[in-house]
This record gives sequence, structure tokens and C-alpha cells, in this order.
Amino acid sequence: MVFRRRFIAFGLGLVLLMGVVWGRQQQVQSVTILMPAPYADATAALVDRFNDDHLGRIHLNISRGPLETESISDLAISSLLLGSPPFDALLVDVTWLPKYVAAGWLEPLDPWFDQADEDDLVAGARLGNRVDGALYRWPLGADVGLLYWRTDLMPSPPTTPDQLTAVVSKLKQEGRASQGFVWQGRQYEGLSCDFVELLQAFGGSWISATTGEPNLDSPAAKQTATWMNELISNGFSPRAVTNYAESESLQAFKAGDAALMRNWPYAWSELQGNDSAVKGRVGVTTMVALPGETPAATLGSWGLSMLRETPHPSATAEAIRYLTSQDAQRERFLNQGYTPTAQALFRDPELVQRSPVLPQLEKALGHAVPRPMSPLYAQMSDVLQRQLSGILTGDLDPGEGMAQAQASTITLFRSAGGKA
Amino acid sequence: MTVLLLLPALLLMGLVFVWPMLRYGWLSFHADSVLTGLNPVANGGANWIRLLDDQRFWQDTLQTTRFAGVSVGLEMVLALAIALLLDQRWRGRGVVRALALLPWALPTTMMALGWRWIFNTPYGPLERLAEVVGLGPLNLLSTPASTWLVTVLADVWKTTPFIALLLLAGLQTIPEDLYSAFRLEGGRPNQALMSITLPLLMPYVLIALLFRGAQAFGVFDLIQVLTGGGPAGSTESVALYAYLNAMRFLDFGYSATVMLAGFLLLTLAVLVLAMLLRLGGLIRPVQS
Amino acid sequence: MNRRFVPWISLLLLWSLLPMLWQLISSLSTAEALVDGSIPFLKRWTLVHYQELWASDPPFWRYLLNSAVVSGLTTLITLVLAIPAAYGLARLPQQLRQLLRWITAGAALFPYVLLFLALLELARRFSLGNNLIALAMPYAGLAMPLALLLLTSAFEGLPRELEDAARLEGLSLWQRLRWVLVPLLAPATASTAILVFLFAWNEYPIALTWLSRDDLLTLPVAMARIAGSSIYSIPYGAYAAATVLGSIPLLLLVLICQRQIVSGLTNGAIKG
Repeated sequence: MVFRRRFIAFGLGLVLLMGVVWGRQQQVQSVTILMPAPYADATAALVDRFNDDHLGRIHLNISRGPLETESISDLAISSLLLGSPPFDALLVDVTWLPKYVAAGWLEPLDPWFDQADEDDLVAGARLGNRVDGALYRWPLGADVGLLYWRTDLMPSPPTTPDQLTAVVSKLKQEGRASQGFVWQGRQYEGLSCDFVELLQAFGGSWISATTGEPNLDSPAAKQTATWMNELISNGFSPRAVTNYAESESLQAFKAGDAALMRNWPYAWSELQGNDSAVKGRVGVTTMVALPGETPAATLGSWGLSMLRETPHPSATAEAIRYLTSQDAQRERFLNQGYTPTAQALFRDPELVQRSPVLPQLEKALGHAVPRPMSPLYAQMSDVLQRQLSGILTGDLDPGEGMAQAQASTITLFRSAGGKA
Repeated sequence: MTVLLLLPALLLMGLVFVWPMLRYGWLSFHADSVLTGLNPVANGGANWIRLLDDQRFWQDTLQTTRFAGVSVGLEMVLALAIALLLDQRWRGRGVVRALALLPWALPTTMMALGWRWIFNTPYGPLERLAEVVGLGPLNLLSTPASTWLVTVLADVWKTTPFIALLLLAGLQTIPEDLYSAFRLEGGRPNQALMSITLPLLMPYVLIALLFRGAQAFGVFDLIQVLTGGGPAGSTESVALYAYLNAMRFLDFGYSATVMLAGFLLLTLAVLVLAMLLRLGGLIRPVQS
Repeated sequence: MNRRFVPWISLLLLWSLLPMLWQLISSLSTAEALVDGSIPFLKRWTLVHYQELWASDPPFWRYLLNSAVVSGLTTLITLVLAIPAAYGLARLPQQLRQLLRWITAGAALFPYVLLFLALLELARRFSLGNNLIALAMPYAGLAMPLALLLLTSAFEGLPRELEDAARLEGLSLWQRLRWVLVPLLAPATASTAILVFLFAWNEYPIALTWLSRDDLLTLPVAMARIAGSSIYSIPYGAYAAATVLGSIPLLLLVLICQRQIVSGLTNGAIKG
């Protein structure tokens, strides 16, 4: 009798225990995030810690995607077009966000990130995350275009276009910087980035903020294209610049052949390497601007977006928050040099000591300018690059080229379904 | 009864070949992009207006034509040589023929990787050879002028065996007596080539030309994997541009327009070519 | 006679095989050996790239399996539909047959990459994506012209009397096909089957748009994805190993079945 009762009690206890364990198992939410392989590697240790902290509740894995920017997007799109993508979130470049949102693939992050969170971000990192007012992306790293200058060749960096050409021409006459001012003039996305900074510097805009219509044939735009063209035709920049991407311009500057360079923040640590001819003699500032215009820095940033179809939105949001936390940013900066997004970190003594340009970077981030937030951005950029490249390689008159770019952009919008 | 036998096959073929063209025709008069939620919305001829003005499309068309022309031309010459060689009688001919066929059997994307490595600067074998010989960095895959030639090489390598087989088949239909008679009359071997072989081979050459030309115009696999269309879009083909419009820019309406335009241009070229050849008497009207 | 051709034969073999041989060599070379020509000969070799492939996720043989499934199914469907159709075509009056032959030849010429968008739309609308079995349908459609051309001319080559005799013996159409005609067609069917299989195995654009899941990719798509991944900057050893492993089934197929392949292609050429 007693034995049977005990047996039943034991049996019930066992069942209860199994129920609890089973329930626990069912609760392990698996979250997968797609990132380019370098970012994936940079967050590996972090991911392990996350999984330890959330053992039994959330399991995070990073899907290592292709190295190239466009390839990651192609991979994601091929899954999204067929439905049921094998990941819950992905790392999104600032220029794709509007496209993904317009396609209805992303879930707004507003339930999990509030105004306080946004206020913690440095100014530039707050840009490029919202479409139609909703928050669709949380930044992982923020980069802006910078003007690098040789501290040993000039007392202070130029702040206006005229000052820039003046200092370059003086140095060339003295035979001290044969390549002058190097930037990205090849026909690719980098050219659009360079153009955007200068366009703002001349008081123009690609898309009008008020009407949403393209503005590429404005006097300011034509002036910008003309100035860029004259850099080459008057010898302030080498002709080879029309084939330079980031690495070529960095190479020229690093070898000591150029006095000024436009490039991204990553170049700084390259220039402090032992193989750099200009180690310790480089300063960083924002691009030049016309007197009366604010200088601009093209925004290039990556952030994490959640997919609408994820079965675990809260778990995914938690993973996103963890991967973008200040500790994570600190680690990524110290180990791999990725720019942080939290304001506080820009003032952190340890970080500033590692990279003395952080204050200038923060200032530049305050002047960040995003490229047009349009789902058609890729095609718009292609149109612009084509015309600019034609202008820079000498064949095309700047005024005509920009007028053509304007017309093509309008045709593009009409063909793809209306306004931006 | 016969119709019933034919129906499933013909229906499937119709679905796969005819439906897309009709669909593209319709889609090309609609905006179907991420801006319209990937739903077709009528927009009149806006896509076509854009196409006419689209420098990238016309540049790609020229590049693709150039690629197809040079590639097929080289293939013809090479394939003829190989066919002539394989037509002779020597030991091991079958084995060599099988080995020569191997390039054609491999998927294009697979060897495209291989070619990227072979032409890689600075580590690929060609580059290292150039170093040894003292030619300096070749950078064959970074300059537009040379990259398209590399794509031609890769294409020629892959498809020549196929054409060689076609031409071989043609060669084997030429009766031996013609050659014997020719020799008896004192003709020399190279003259035999010009007066007997080539004229009788013409129909096969033309079929191969037409077939390969059309296929080469649609080149996609090779370009996408070997160069991605670069550098600076100099190797981009019409098919790749259409693909990018759909899968990268999410603009289905324009992609359809590009493909339809490409198809129409190709058809026009084929018809014109066929007509010219007909007029030149090189194609005799088909008798059965 | 033989010796005269030797230099030309060697040239042909070199031209055809050298790129593939180079892949083999690269696949067996260490990562250091790939970038440094000065490493001594004996230290240059390793099997690590093959081990990487085998242990990768998904394992490499998965892609071979996927390709085999799709190609096999495509071949089956194509033959099942094409054989009766070819029989019907061969029995049609001259004019109609000629017309259909031109149409079919035209379809065979067609650069089928241009079809991908419409087919993608179908995949999206009917949820046919990421489904190896569904993929066989468009493949069968694409391979149909080739199969029809080859099989129709094969049927035309059969003597009429055999079938008439069978009909007189009271065999139905199905029985005639099954027991008399198709067995006679075996060589042509074999050639067609192999060519269709090869086509399906090597097809890229449709597979690229219809398949996105890692573990469902066919070989050409998987290779392209590995190529685009460039996860490592100079890992050509791994790529080369993938190329070698991926080539083996095809090389075997071609070497074993080369006679059928050749006869299929040449028959197509002559009659087509």
C-alpha cells in the first residue's frame, strides 16, 4: 500500500520534472543573424558570452556571409524573394535600408528601442535608421568621410575649396606632394560618396528635402561637378584619380606622395602602421565647404535590422541590443578598429588614447549626411556615377553631364513607379 | 490520337518558352518594382523610354555583341582545326576525343573560379610565369581592356569541343571518294581543304555559328562568377544587367523590358544574318 | 601517319586539360605554397583543403546529391514526355513536321537565361522555391526541344514495317511503344538521357533564383556561392578542391558515356 503510494508520488514527480525540462527545452529560442564574415569574426567572442548568459533561453548564431557588401545583400534578397529566409536579422548597409523597408521585409524596432537609447547615440549614428518615421535599424558602427591632411606640410587644414587648391598648388610648386589631393574618382559607389560631401559643401542637395524631386541640375550641383573636374584638369589631383578607389588613394597618401586625402576612418590606423611613410604626421578633419555652408561627411554605416517573418522578435531584439551594447562597441573598437556609436565612448579616455582622432571623428559625425534614402538609390547612384565619370575623364561638359543625370533620374522614377 | 501524345510535351515547352515572352511584353508596360510593392502598375511606355536612354543597356549590348562575335569566331577556327585533326585516322583517337570533350561537360561557374585563380594577380600561375620571364604584373583581371579577353578565352575553352564535334560530324559525311578523285587529278591536300572540305562543311559551320552566336549573346554564368560584370561594368552582359535589375534593384518591370529588348535585338540579328546568308546562296532552301 | 599528328594531339590535350590539372595541383597545395613559389617541393602538399570541404556545413557531397536528384528527375520527366511526343511528331505529315522542327530548333537556340524572371514569378506565386522536385519541371521544359529533336529523328529512322507488323499482330499503341519501338530506340534514348542529365546538372540561372537554402543548392550554384563568398582572401586551395570534387562525377560520366554523347550530338547536328 505504502509502496504503491510512494511509487505514484515518485512517478508524478518524475513526470513533473520531465515537464519542466521539456518546457525549458521548448523555450530555447534560436536566433540567427547574417553578417559579412569579417564582422562575424569580430563578434565571435561576444556571441559566446551571450549564449552563456542566456543559456537555455536564447541561442544566437551568426551566419557568415560573403565579404563583399553587395554579395551579402544579394544573398539575403534571394532568400527573401522566395519567402522564409533562414535568419532572423541581418546586417544592413545604410543605402539598402529603404529598399528592404519598401519591400516589406523588415520589422520596426520601436517596441524595443526608445528615445533614451537613441539619445545615447552619437549624432551621425542616429541617421539612416528610420524610414517614414519608424525605426528599422539599430546601428552597429558608424563611418563618415573624412579629409586627411599632412601636419608636416601645412599648419592647419584647408576649410574651403579655394584654400584647398591654394595649399595644394603651393606644395606642388615646392615639389613636396606630387599627387596633391587624392580621392575616389573611379566609376563606383565611392564616387557618389565623395560627390555627396562636396555637393552639400557647395550648398546643393541630390534630392530636394521639400519636394522629393531630384536636384542634380541645380547651379550648386553643376558647380560641384565643375570643381571636381577642375581638380583634375588643373593638376590639383593626378589624372590617375579617375581610377582610384579607397585603397589606391590610401596607398598614395601612405607613401607620402599626397598632401590631402578623402577617405573613411579605417585609413587612420593604416597610416600609423610601421610601413607608413607618414606615420605620426597625419591629421583628420571634415571636408572643405564654401564659406557659409556647413561641411559635410557622407554617412556610411552598418546596422542590424530584424526581419518581419522572425518567429522570435523579442529574442532577436535582445541579441541586437547585446551586440550593439557599449561593451561590445568598446571591444570591437579596441580589437578591430570599428568606430563606436555611443556618444560616451568618444569621450572615454582609454579609447581616445588608442586613437587620438576620436574627437575629430565625433565632430565629423555631427556633420554626417546620408545619401538619398530612396529604395531606388542603387540605380540613382549608377546614373550619377556614369555622368560624373564621363565629366571627370574629360569627355563631357559638367553642365551637360549634370543635366543628363537629372533627366535620367526623373526617367528612372517614372519607370519604376512614381516619386522617390 | 497523335495530338494527345504531343500535348504534354508541347504544353510544357509552351509554358517554359512562350509564356515568359508574353509576360515580359505585358510587364514592360508596367512599373513593377519595390516602389510598387512588387506588383505591376501600368505606366505606359515609361520603361521603354528609359531603355532608349539607358547608356548602361546600350553599352552592355555592344559589349555582349563584341564578346559573342569574337568568341564564336575564335571557336569556329579552333573547332575546325580540332575537327580536322580528329577526322584523321590514328590510334587513340577515341580517347583523345573524350578528353577533349571534358571542358564542355563542366559547369561554367565551376571553371570560372578556376580561371579567376589562373589569372589572379599576383599569385596565379600566369602572373608568376610573367614574373619569371620579366614581363611584370599583368593585372589581366583589373583592366577593362584585358578582362573581356579573359572572358572570351574562358568561353572559347569551354564551348570549342562542342562545335568541334558538330563539325566532325559534318566532316564525316563527306565521302572519301571525293578526296581520292581530287588527288588523282593532281590536287594537293591544302587545296582539298579549300575546294572540297570547306564548301561541303558550310551548312554545319552556319548552323554552329547561329546556335553558338545566340547562346553567346545570352552569356550570364561565366560573367557573373568570373568578373561580376567588372571592372567598372566593362564585361557586363545584357543578361547580367537584366538579372541585376530584378534581383539587386528589385525592379522587375525594367528587368523584363531589358530582357525583351535583348531578345528582340537577338532575333533581329539572327533573322538578318539568315537572310544575308540565304541571299549569298550559302544556305539552300530546306528540302526534306 | 601517327607521328605527324603527335605535336598537334599534345597541344590539344594540353589546351583541354591544363586548366583542370592546375586546379588539381592547387587543391593539393598548402595555403603558403599557393602564394610563395619558393617553398621547397616536398613541403608544398597537403590534403587539408579536402578535409575542410568534407567537414563544412553543409558537407560538399550534399551539393552533388542535390544535383543528382534534380538531374535524375529531369531526365525521367523529359523522357516520359518526349518519347510519346517524338513518336507523334514522326508520324505527322511532312509540312507540319518540318514546321515543328524549325520551332523546336529555334527553342533549342534560345538563351534560356532570359526566362529566369518569369519563372521566378511562378516560383514565388506557387511557392515552388527551395524545392528540388519542383525545379525539375522547368528543367524538363527547357530540355524538351533537345530531346524532341533527337528522339524524333531516331523514330524517323525506324523501319515502318516493324511497327506495321506489330500493329497487325493486334498490339495497342502503348504496347507497340513499350515492346517494339522503345527498345529499338535504346541507343538514341541513352544519348538523349545523358545529354539531358548533363544539361540539368550544369544549369545555373534558374537554379540560382529558385534555390536559396544552403543545403538545397545544386552544384553550379554552390560553386558560385563559394566563389562570391571570398570569406578568405586567398583560399584558392579550398576553391580548387571544390572544383576537383565537383568535376569528378561529370568527368566519369563523360569518359564512360562519351560514345553516346558524341553520337547524340552528331545526330542532332546532322538531322537538325
